[in-house]
Amino acid sequence: MKTDPSLTHLSRRSFIKITAAWTGGLWLVGVPAEIPSSYRLFTREEAEIMDILANCIIPPGEFAGGEEAGVTNFIDQQISIDGYLKEDARLYKTCLPALNRTPFNEYGKHFLNLDESNRIEYLKKLESGVYNESSEAALWEPYAPSQFFSTVIDHCMMGFYGSPEHGGNKNYVSYRMIRF
Amino acid sequence: MKKERVNAVVVGAGAGGGVAAKELSEAGLSVVLFERGGWVTHEDHGNDELTAQRSFPLACGFGPDNERYRRVYRDRQGNERIVLPNEWDYQNNAACVGSGTVCYGAMAWRFMEEDFRMKSTYGGVEGSTLDDWPISYDDLEPCYEKAEWEIGVAGDDSINPFAPWRSKPHPMPAFHHNREARILESAAKEIGYHPFSIPMLRNSVPYNGRRVCAHVRQCVGFACPVDAKNGTQNTVIPTAIETGNCELRIHCKVAELLTNDQGKLTGVSYFDENDQKHEQPADIIVLAASATETPRLMLNSTSKYFPSGIGNRHDWVGRNLQGHAYCGADGLFDYEVYTGEGPGASVAICDFNHHNDGYIGGAMLANEFIKLPYAYSSGFRPPGSARWGKEHKEYQKKNYRRNASIRGPVQEMPVFESRVEVTPEVRDHWGIPVAKISGYRHDEDIRVAEFIAEKAEKWLQAAGAIKTWKSIPGKGVSGSQHQAGTCRMGNDPQSSVTNKYGQVHGVDNLFIADGSLHVTNGGFNPVLTIMALGYWVSDYIVKEWTHGNRFR
Repeated sequence: MKTDPSLTHLSRRSFIKITAAWTGGLWLVGVPAEIPSSYRLFTREEAEIMDILANCIIPPGEFAGGEEAGVTNFIDQQISIDGYLKEDARLYKTCLPALNRTPFNEYGKHFLNLDESNRIEYLKKLESGVYNESSEAALWEPYAPSQFFSTVIDHCMMGFYGSPEHGGNKNYVSYRMIRF
Repeated sequence: MKKERVNAVVVGAGAGGGVAAKELSEAGLSVVLFERGGWVTHEDHGNDELTAQRSFPLACGFGPDNERYRRVYRDRQGNERIVLPNEWDYQNNAACVGSGTVCYGAMAWRFMEEDFRMKSTYGGVEGSTLDDWPISYDDLEPCYEKAEWEIGVAGDDSINPFAPWRSKPHPMPAFHHNREARILESAAKEIGYHPFSIPMLRNSVPYNGRRVCAHVRQCVGFACPVDAKNGTQNTVIPTAIETGNCELRIHCKVAELLTNDQGKLTGVSYFDENDQKHEQPADIIVLAASATETPRLMLNSTSKYFPSGIGNRHDWVGRNLQGHAYCGADGLFDYEVYTGEGPGASVAICDFNHHNDGYIGGAMLANEFIKLPYAYSSGFRPPGSARWGKEHKEYQKKNYRRNASIRGPVQEMPVFESRVEVTPEVRDHWGIPVAKISGYRHDEDIRVAEFIAEKAEKWLQAAGAIKTWKSIPGKGVSGSQHQAGTCRMGNDPQSSVTNKYGQVHGVDNLFIADGSLHVTNGGFNPVLTIMALGYWVSDYIVKEWTHGNRFR
């Protein structure tokens, strides 16, 4: 099935922006829990973690970053029941919340609330296996934090550099960037 | 259900099987050509890198599918795991009419004379079953010519001083070079290499009623959008069907070779597209299912007469699995060498295929096909490069057009322990025991790869690359899309599976016509040799048949 992600998917962030524009933001105070996730498998919080993670892996700049390019949408589509990566659904369902909670002991904040430089520092430690044997490792079981990070890098690259027909690479942004 | 008896069954509509079906049906034999996949065209997969047959991160667009197929991979530490078709260790070959010839890069190499007599040229090698082929280049030369003219090759061997002799030039003129290849061509000449345009199974001029190559970027791994890439699916297979003697049965999975009470091979059993099981009796069976699936079929066909599988009396079926030890070098330039003119690979040298002092064999070297965006995000970069983040993105943006790569398929030393077995504990969708792949590369392969990679790096430096680095393969068992060697031909039944005509020792009506027959795999992409063997084996069958031999 080929769908244009820009037609079928409204990211949570742009939803909030639109909603905020309409209501002056007041609406958001009591309502977020009732806003349905526009994703197949990700909850709104998982999608938000994934968006930020995708932006750390492929940062925005002159050309769109992972979030704007639709990487979260790509992964959500691929790990859903009719996706190519459906075997990885549990990996994401386990590891995204774990990734969010793991820095709390050390930084006093969840990943979502870290500032950018701390996020990068934290992810570099994650990549090098620092948390594989830590007390937070139980959050990730049966997966290893560094293993998840390698997988998510690969999937972000697929979403950013692969064909838009799979839900990422919005408007062929990566093709334009490398001038393929 | 038992089908009506035919003269010949061919299993696998790829490079070898397509040719065999055409040759046998043209000679008047009734033929059923089995293919586990169906027809695949460019429209089915377009330009989607993630499902193309080059690196298939999501799926193998040309098959096999992840739902019905699996294999077992045993690593060098002895750990076994189930692998799916789109994992590297599965070692897939496309499952469709034409198989890899639909979506290959289409290099059309003839092996060199030395490639058929490796043991005579270099002597024995410890830890390897290295041997000579029972046939020579001279034997196969007319078959190479037939493949080049009937399927269609563009090239000009007169510029390659290392090319083996030929009785007729290529049917189409050689391809021109794109910017990157032109830069590499002049650099090669400067350092005394002998560059030429790679012979290709693509149309440089209109040929056989089909169009000229459109030089698209997405070539290797994809079907051709203008049908200018020549495989068996758009040449010999349609010809076979047009004879009226060949029935192509697609989406049919051959399960077993059948033998009667006297130990005589009588036909095959197979599952049709609705998973219904049938028997197809035949006088002759030709296996062309790939160097993994051909031995799997033989090993799965056990009976009172063949307790360890058909043709496996001396335990050689499935042995000596080999591919190529791909190596090379990458270079960054301070200007753009990329123009987007595909397919990318066009300039090659054969200076280091043989007679490298102190090394056994070698490889041709050629510039790489156009790197696709996702593949470029993790490959073709200097060791220690950032895997993610700002630095990674900047690298992509800055260097995609400034990178040239040279690669070469190092001829591997056959290893007896590198093999295909079957494992009854794991079964596919149809309940058939799957192939188990295990083994390792010989140390000599890595040594040669290091030597060849140096030559590639020197070439890039001569071309003005400001930074270069080498790419050396690991020790893991090889195979993949160049898989070969698992039912080698030979004169001695105790150390080979077939005779020099591809006829299985002791089973007169069973033939093999795929890369399984290769005693060694040359320092080249093997497809033209597999096609040539299709002609060679068929020629023997037809001659015997014409003289009244019904192989009964």
